[in-house]
Amino acid sequence: MNRAAAIGSLALTLASALTLTACGGSGGAGVAADAKQTLTVWAMGTEGEKLGDVAKAYQKSHANITVKVTPIGWDVAHQKLVAAAAAGKLPDVVQMGGSYLGEFADMGVLEPVDTKTFAEGDFFPAAWQQGTYDGKAYGVPWYVDTRVLFYRTDLAKKAGIDKAPATMAELQRDAEAYRTKAGTKWGLSIQPGGLDTVQSFYPFLYSAGGAILDQDGKAAVNSAAAVKALENYGSYFKKNLSEKSVRPGYDVTKDFNTGAVPMFFGGPWLTSLLDDNYPGLKGKWAVAPVPADQASVSMAGGSSLAISADSDHKAAAKEFVASLTDAKGQSDWFERTNDLPANTGAWKSGTLATDPAMKIWRTQMDTAKSTPAQPKLTEITSKVDTAIESVTQGKSTAKAALDKAQSEIDGLVQ
Amino acid sequence: MSLTTGPAASAAAVDKSPRGGGSSGSARRPRRSLSRHNLTGWLFSTPFLVLFGVFMLFPIVATLLMSFTDFGARDVTRPLEADFVGLDNYTRLFQDDKFLTSLFNTAYFVVVGVPATIVLGLLAAVLLNNGIDRARTVFRIGFYAPVVTTIVAVAVVWRFVLDPSDGLIASLASEVGLTAPDFLGSETWAMPSLIAMAVWRNLGTVMVLCIAGLQAIPAEVREAARLDGASGWQELRRVTVPLLRPTLLYATVITTIGYLNVFEEPFVMTQGGPSDATLTVSLDMYREGFNFFHMGYASAMAYVLFVVIMGITVLQLRLLKDNTR
Repeated sequence: MNRAAAIGSLALTLASALTLTACGGSGGAGVAADAKQTLTVWAMGTEGEKLGDVAKAYQKSHANITVKVTPIGWDVAHQKLVAAAAAGKLPDVVQMGGSYLGEFADMGVLEPVDTKTFAEGDFFPAAWQQGTYDGKAYGVPWYVDTRVLFYRTDLAKKAGIDKAPATMAELQRDAEAYRTKAGTKWGLSIQPGGLDTVQSFYPFLYSAGGAILDQDGKAAVNSAAAVKALENYGSYFKKNLSEKSVRPGYDVTKDFNTGAVPMFFGGPWLTSLLDDNYPGLKGKWAVAPVPADQASVSMAGGSSLAISADSDHKAAAKEFVASLTDAKGQSDWFERTNDLPANTGAWKSGTLATDPAMKIWRTQMDTAKSTPAQPKLTEITSKVDTAIESVTQGKSTAKAALDKAQSEIDGLVQ
Repeated sequence: MSLTTGPAASAAAVDKSPRGGGSSGSARRPRRSLSRHNLTGWLFSTPFLVLFGVFMLFPIVATLLMSFTDFGARDVTRPLEADFVGLDNYTRLFQDDKFLTSLFNTAYFVVVGVPATIVLGLLAAVLLNNGIDRARTVFRIGFYAPVVTTIVAVAVVWRFVLDPSDGLIASLASEVGLTAPDFLGSETWAMPSLIAMAVWRNLGTVMVLCIAGLQAIPAEVREAARLDGASGWQELRRVTVPLLRPTLLYATVITTIGYLNVFEEPFVMTQGGPSDATLTVSLDMYREGFNFFHMGYASAMAYVLFVVIMGITVLQLRLLKDNTR
C-alpha cells in the first residue's frame, strides 16, 4: 500500500463517519427475543470459520432466529471493526480480541454485559477481567489462551534431565544442559524483538511478580520485579542460549521438530499443529507449567463476545451469546476447535477433566494474568517490545530500558 | 513498493499543487446557454469526476484537515468533534526520534537504491538491445517478471535466499567455508538486503523504459560514432546516455518517488526491525494510523512526506533537465 492508498483509507473511515448522525449509548427498545429476526455475527480467524456450524445447529433449535456469521481475517479485523464502529454498522454480536476491548468500550459502541445472565464466577478470573473496562464488563469470555512450556523429552534424557524445569533457575540450567550434552543448537526459543515480543516476555514478567500496568492502570513496568524478569530474559541471549536475530514469520515448530530448539513457550493451538505436521514427533515431547519464580504465572489471552450498543436484537443476541458461553456450549466448542473454554464449568467433564496435558493448561489458566483493558494497549505493549529488544540485542541494561518504557507509558495512560 | 504505484502518489501530489490541473471554469466566457455539445462532454466526464472527487480529492482534503486535529479512536463515531490542535502534530513530529529515524532510513533507501536501480536497469537494457540477439525474449521476461510478481511470493523467495541457517546464500557460503551474515537479523545488513530486493523488483521497469528509448535512437548516430572509432564504453557514455537523458530523467523521478514511499519490503520482510533499522516513513505512518489509531498524527506524517517528495521531484527536474539546448 502506498501513501495515496493510505490516505485514501484514512479518509474513507472519516467519509463513512461523516454520513451518519451521532449515535451512541443504547439503541431503542429493540425486538423481542422470540420474534422472527436475523442476527449478524462477526468472528475472526479459525473461530470465524467454525462458528458457522454452531450457528446452523442453533437455528435448528430456534426456528425464529437466522444467524448470519461473517468470518474476518485477523490481519484486517481491527480496521474493519473500527470502520464499522464509525459507521454505526457493527453487527449484533462481535468477537473482541483481548487487546481490542478497551478501545471499543471506550468508543461507547459496546453494550455492557447483563450480569444477571452472565456470572463472573463461572469464568476464569483473567478472562473476565479481559472483558472489563473501567470497572464494567462489556465482553463475555468465549475462549482463553495461555502459554506453557513445550519441551523435548527424548533430548532431555540425552541431556541428563529427568523432569521438567520447575523453577526459573532450573529452566536456565536445563537450557544449558540441552546445548552442551544433547547438542541442540539453542536452549530455549524466546522472541528477541519485533512486534508482540511482549507475549514471549509475559511468563517471565508475571512469574517474577511484575506487571506492565498496575491495578489502577498506572505504568508499573520498571518495578524491581520487572527489571529482574527482563535481566533473566536477557541472560538467555547473553549466554547464547536463545537466538538473537529476529526472523519474521518464524515457525518454532520446525526447529522443535529438528531438535535445534528443545524448549519454547507456546499456546494450546500448537498441540494440534505439532501432531498434524510432525506425527513422527509424537511421544517425544510434553508440556509443563511455566517454571516458577515467585510463583508460576503465565499470560492469559483469548477473546470475548460483545453485543453492539446499537443492535436492535439485543435480547436474541444475549440468548445466542449465552448458548456459546455456558458450560455445555463451551464443551461443544472445545470439541470443534480445541480452543480452551473460558467457562470453568466446561472443565468438569470429558477430556478436559481427565487428560493430563489438559490439567496443565487448566492449572496455568487458574493463575494466568491478563493486561487490563486499555484503549491504548497496542501502543503500550509496543513500547515494552522496544525495551525488550534493546536488552536482547545488548544495547541497554534492563533497568535503563524499562525506565525509558515507563516514562513513555506514563505519558500514554494519563 | 512497486514503481507502478509511484505515479498515483505523484498524481495526487500534482493535483494539490496550485498550478495543478484544476478547473479553468472561473475564466469569463461569453454567456452561452449550455449547448448540447457541452452537456455531452460533461456527461461523459461525470463518472470520472465523481470517482476522482470521492476517492482522491476528498481524502486529500480530509487528511489535511485531520492533520491539524488529535483525531483518534474516540473520534471515529463523532469525527466532527475531534479537537483542533493547530500545528501540534507537526512540531511533535520533528521531536519524535522514531520519525527522524524513519526519515533517515528512507533517505538511505533512496540514496543507495535509486542509482543502483537506474544503472542496472540501463545496463540490462543496453545488453538486451545490443548484446544478446538470441534468447532476448527470455531475458526480457526474466528481468521483468519480478515487477509483476506479487510481493507475497517475492517475500517467500527472498526469505529463503537470505535465511541465515538454511538459506540459499548461507548454504553456498558454507560450501566454500564462509559464514554468511544474518541478513535480516542484523542492523547493518537488514537495510542493504531490502534495497537489493527492491532493486531486483524494480530494475525491470527501468529496463523497459530504456529499451523503448534506445530503439528511438537513430542507427545513423551509432554508425557515425563507430566510424569515428568510438569504443563500446565511449559509445555508451557519449551517445547512448545523452540521447536517453529524458528517459533516464523520467525513470529517476518515478523511482525516487516510489522509494520515498517504500512500504512493502520492510512490511513483509522485517516489520521495520531489527531495532527500527528498517522502519521507513510509510511504515511508521501505517503503524501510527492503523495500529495505534493516531489518525491526526499519521495525517501530518503523510503531508510531511508529500512535501518532501514534491521538493525532491522539483529539484530533480531542475538539476537533471537538459541544459545544453
